[in-house]
Amino acid sequence: MAEVAAEDPVVETIQLTKIYQNRHIALNDVSLRLERGCVLGLLGANGAGKTTLLRLIIGLHRPTAGSARVFGEDMTPNSAALRRRIGYIPTNPRFPKGMTPITYLDYMAKLFGLPSDVRKPRMGMLLRAVDLLGAGGTQIDTFSNGMTARLAVATSLINDPDLLIWDEPTHGLDPEARRSMLDLIKGLSKEKTLIVSSHNLGDIDEVCNHAAVLSHGQLIYSGPLHDLKTRMRRNHYEIDVDGDQKSVTRALATIKTLGDVQHASLEHRRITLRLQEDAVASSSLAQVFQTLSDGKLTLVGIRSVGQQTEEAYLDLVEKEEQRGFTRIYRQAA
Amino acid sequence: MASPASIVKLPNRGMASDPEPAQVSYLPWLPYWAVMEADFIQVLRSWVYRSWVLVVALTAIGLFTYRWGLHHEAKIIQPASHVIIHLMRGMMVGSVALVGVIAAGAIAAERGSLADSILSRGISRHQYYLGKWHGRLLAIMLGHALLGAIAITGARFVLHEDVTVEGGAAAVAMSGAMLAVVVSLGVMMSALFARPLAAAAALWVLLYAAGVVFGALPHSVPTPEWVLQKLPYVLKGEFTREMLVQVGMYAGGACIASAVVGMFLFSRKDI
Repeated sequence: MAEVAAEDPVVETIQLTKIYQNRHIALNDVSLRLERGCVLGLLGANGAGKTTLLRLIIGLHRPTAGSARVFGEDMTPNSAALRRRIGYIPTNPRFPKGMTPITYLDYMAKLFGLPSDVRKPRMGMLLRAVDLLGAGGTQIDTFSNGMTARLAVATSLINDPDLLIWDEPTHGLDPEARRSMLDLIKGLSKEKTLIVSSHNLGDIDEVCNHAAVLSHGQLIYSGPLHDLKTRMRRNHYEIDVDGDQKSVTRALATIKTLGDVQHASLEHRRITLRLQEDAVASSSLAQVFQTLSDGKLTLVGIRSVGQQTEEAYLDLVEKEEQRGFTRIYRQAA
Repeated sequence: MASPASIVKLPNRGMASDPEPAQVSYLPWLPYWAVMEADFIQVLRSWVYRSWVLVVALTAIGLFTYRWGLHHEAKIIQPASHVIIHLMRGMMVGSVALVGVIAAGAIAAERGSLADSILSRGISRHQYYLGKWHGRLLAIMLGHALLGAIAITGARFVLHEDVTVEGGAAAVAMSGAMLAVVVSLGVMMSALFARPLAAAAALWVLLYAAGVVFGALPHSVPTPEWVLQKLPYVLKGEFTREMLVQVGMYAGGACIASAVVGMFLFSRKDI
């Protein structure tokens, strides 16, 4: 099997476009590059084009225009050799009726062309690893969501892939199973390249180091997750304080007079603070803390609102929609 | 779930710093074989297939009982070849509907997330199509050969008349060739349509249209009707090797042509 050349990205889409037969534009001119070792979080609302993008990368769909390259080669429906290096979990994995985890994994391993002396030990190891060894002979139809998800994980690892593509792997899992899944992704990310699609921005925030944001089929952001959060930094903080109400009110009045403070408000014992865009947060906050100290108020906690991934994502999508509206408005005018 | 650490201890080839792992020798045709094997077993377990075998078996028993009754009660003797030809007509014409349903469900019934979990693995669309086609073909041909063999054996050893072993085998082969074309066309339709019902409907329309076209062809072309007319003679051993080759060539050609068209179009479809 050909190894990926050092300079080749693991996944590269070039002006990838998909228009379905009902003329719905599912994906529009998406150019994306994924290097080895990246854990890419694919974000987007329902119908944004996440699953379409993943299906194009895996070769289940054919692009209307552009191309999807995996390990330096064009992905097509007949690129079996490329798919041997990919582990895929669809959104809602379904399994053939009447099969047990052992027969199913054996079938999947055969679909990768793995010889018996390789697939048998690997099956045993994976069933043990996902804690399904005891249920190895039980019909899959009787499995819970968590067990099904674990079997899907084992299936995606049976070929020891270089690239893992998991479409909403935490979908429908209880909190315990979700935690295990996230820990597993973190563990795998040390060795493999991953693309994880999820609605849950907290999950993406926890396990991914890169992000791609899709909105209405368009890629509106692609790059390091940290950059996304930094770009969206809005100097927006929430400060929880403790002390008598008069002191808190006096402190708020003083804070409002500080030069870099754009907005300050009080709700119970929480001060919501928004600084100027160009303010140096550290020095402005130092002044705020000094004010709190002068008023003999105790600082209970501080939270940067603007740097949460969810905020960043929503802000990005909102700005993109506004730009779209402006474009339409200008054209109409 | 087990500790994730246990999963990530898998032998890995991913990162540049890892030691070079043992190279796995992939078996390129194993995916095809796996699909064919799974599909063959799936067909044998399906109620449509079992219904088909049961209907044909009951028809055979009914015909033999009827002939036995005629002989013993009315002393009327019908040649065994006539009895068998009725049965073969039933097998060919009567079972086309059920065989069509079996074939039309080959790929269409697996559309959606089930096909996702198969076609996202190390298998090409061509191999998947071939595996499905051959799985269905094998199951139908096996059922047909088995039922045909039982009918011929029954005719030869119970009715003691004009059916020869060679003729019986040739008749089963010729009628099987016709069914093989129906199966191949059914699988082709299954690859083109997203729903089994639509694929089956399209297959019947195609067979009806083919029947109209066959009516306009010269008598030398071995159409299904031509084969049915020849079968009584074939059963008695009145056939030539050239006749068998001719039927095989036409049927084989139709099967291969449908497979090529099906594979080409299926490899260009979104799943």
